[in-house]
Amino acid sequence: MKELRIGVVSFEHMHAQSYTQELVKYPEVTLVGIADENEKRGKEMAATFKTNYYQRYESLLEQQLDGVVICTNNRDHAKVSIAAAKKGIHILVEKPFATTIADAHAMLEAAREANVQIMNAFPMRFNPNVIAAKKKIDAGLIGQVLTITSINHGKIPGGWFIDPALSGGGAVMDHTVHLGDLIRWFTGSEIKSVFCESGELLHHKGIDDTGLVMIELNNGVSATIDCSWAHHTNYPIWAQVDMQIIGTKGVIELKAFAQVLHLDDQTNQRFEDIGWNETGDEGLIKEFVQVCATGRTPLVTGLDGLRALEIALASYESSRTNEVVSLT
Amino acid sequence: MIRIALVGCGTMGQTHAHAYTSLGEAKVVAVCDIRLEKAEALASLLGCVAYISYEAMKEKADYEVLDVCLPTYLHCRYATDAMQDGKHVFCEKPIALNLEDADLMVKTAKEYGVTFSVGHVLRFFPQYQAAVAQIKAGRIGTPALLRTTRNQAFPGWSWENWYQDIAKSGGPEVDLAIHDYDWLLYNFGPVKRVYAKNLGPEHPAQMHTLAILRFASGAMAHVEASWALPKGIEFRTTFELVGTDGQLCYDSSRDCPLKTQLGSDEEASLFYDNPLSDEMNPYRAELKAFLYAVEHKTEPVVTATEAIAALQVALAAKESAHNGKVVHL
Repeated sequence: MKELRIGVVSFEHMHAQSYTQELVKYPEVTLVGIADENEKRGKEMAATFKTNYYQRYESLLEQQLDGVVICTNNRDHAKVSIAAAKKGIHILVEKPFATTIADAHAMLEAAREANVQIMNAFPMRFNPNVIAAKKKIDAGLIGQVLTITSINHGKIPGGWFIDPALSGGGAVMDHTVHLGDLIRWFTGSEIKSVFCESGELLHHKGIDDTGLVMIELNNGVSATIDCSWAHHTNYPIWAQVDMQIIGTKGVIELKAFAQVLHLDDQTNQRFEDIGWNETGDEGLIKEFVQVCATGRTPLVTGLDGLRALEIALASYESSRTNEVVSLT
Repeated sequence: MIRIALVGCGTMGQTHAHAYTSLGEAKVVAVCDIRLEKAEALASLLGCVAYISYEAMKEKADYEVLDVCLPTYLHCRYATDAMQDGKHVFCEKPIALNLEDADLMVKTAKEYGVTFSVGHVLRFFPQYQAAVAQIKAGRIGTPALLRTTRNQAFPGWSWENWYQDIAKSGGPEVDLAIHDYDWLLYNFGPVKRVYAKNLGPEHPAQMHTLAILRFASGAMAHVEASWALPKGIEFRTTFELVGTDGQLCYDSSRDCPLKTQLGSDEEASLFYDNPLSDEMNPYRAELKAFLYAVEHKTEPVVTATEAIAALQVALAAKESAHNGKVVHL
């Protein structure tokens, strides 16, 4: 088995934790180092994962890497991805792919020129329940898909997530992309138009936290996405991803994170839902490791990332103008 | 590479066969079933030889492990035959219908120096494992009240409808509730007394058992297992584990990630799925653990002694239901 040299750039996004935990499970993977502008966090994580710490991502990218996982703030995805592509390194970049269409195009172009793979981190594509739903749809079990209702609720994160300059936006940016990607995947169709109502209605943190998106696809399917950070602090679980897919022959009700134990914690006076199945991070990293080993096209690409970003940005435009935004 | 032969290609044989397809450390070299078409279907899945009789398979095939997926009343006969032939044996649960057969299996395994384990697979289900991990982390304090359910429609699809013949299946205590008995004994210690009721022979297609267990630790359990639900109803399992500092609950219907509703002009149907990757598949995990024990000559995760302890609780529940008395163990 050929050694794969992989680095992680930044733990700004907390998903870096689970991605790195998955990476180190593979005997062929050498975790070459962790780069993080935040020295305290970077050194802590480097110690946790018994690897080297680099303050500058450029120094980590010098280390003959086969692959890099990028979990910076959203704005910096482009800068780090382009630098990695120029070094000939395969890329897994956290979602959203970028914060602007221009950045996304520049990232795809850099990867194409350097002949490296760029993969957008859409772990829901690897969630076992989502995969099972996709198989049922592809097998024609519910006939032709007619309409989809989807919800991705969560709690409001802090830090750079609620600074639009670094995140590109709030709940709409953070959550629309997951479901937008799954709707494209389930239907095999691209988006024709987007309408969105969004705003800061719940948490008073200076950023959009509530959003309802209505999509029309080229094949005539209509779909809604509720991307709100709707869970209050004491909600028993962070993430919720639900989809109802209505077809000509039947209906699929998917609750991707329903496999939980319900804990009534008397000591801390709270309820907690504890997930016990794989989330999707496992399959996502497995796929990236295979992409690094073989150089083949990933199951979810940078182009998928761009398409999902287009939905999020069109949603913001629609929110501003109160008009339907056409994507064709 | 451990070479395996599988006897019995019904529901459990098929479940095991699918689990073996993703286990690199083992190769199924032969399968057998008196219904040749069942054996041939699995043989083509596994790329091995199908036999119509155990005797023919024993004579022609070369294997180290026999996986017994036969109806319960046949476990002892085939397991002990294989052991006497020097094969390691993995036997579906329950170990046997009675203690005499179970003891003979244990004695034979010991005499011939082979590894023997029983398919108490509940220990390998991720939700049950997650609950144990939370309890071990102290999240509910000292376990006090444990409730489990395992309810379904009567499995009328079985070969010769053998489940319905209590002399062959042991009924819902020995076949169904034994999953929970084993899990409870393994995680919460020995049981000192049992009181139970069941639906009697006047309801042949609606068998049902209710048991109250008292543990040596002081904890108590309510175990319900049913073959009394209407035909077409989904299999449902639940647990509710209450301790001095908290409570853990799971309900396979409520906590189900994927429901599919299909309709026609005549009727509608609802299917529940609980998708798991190969790595999370409990049947694969139990077989992997058994093969590890064979290869490394270690004690299996599920020992025959534990399988007998679970059978004792099941037989006590049956006895209590039969004579209306409390059974002390």
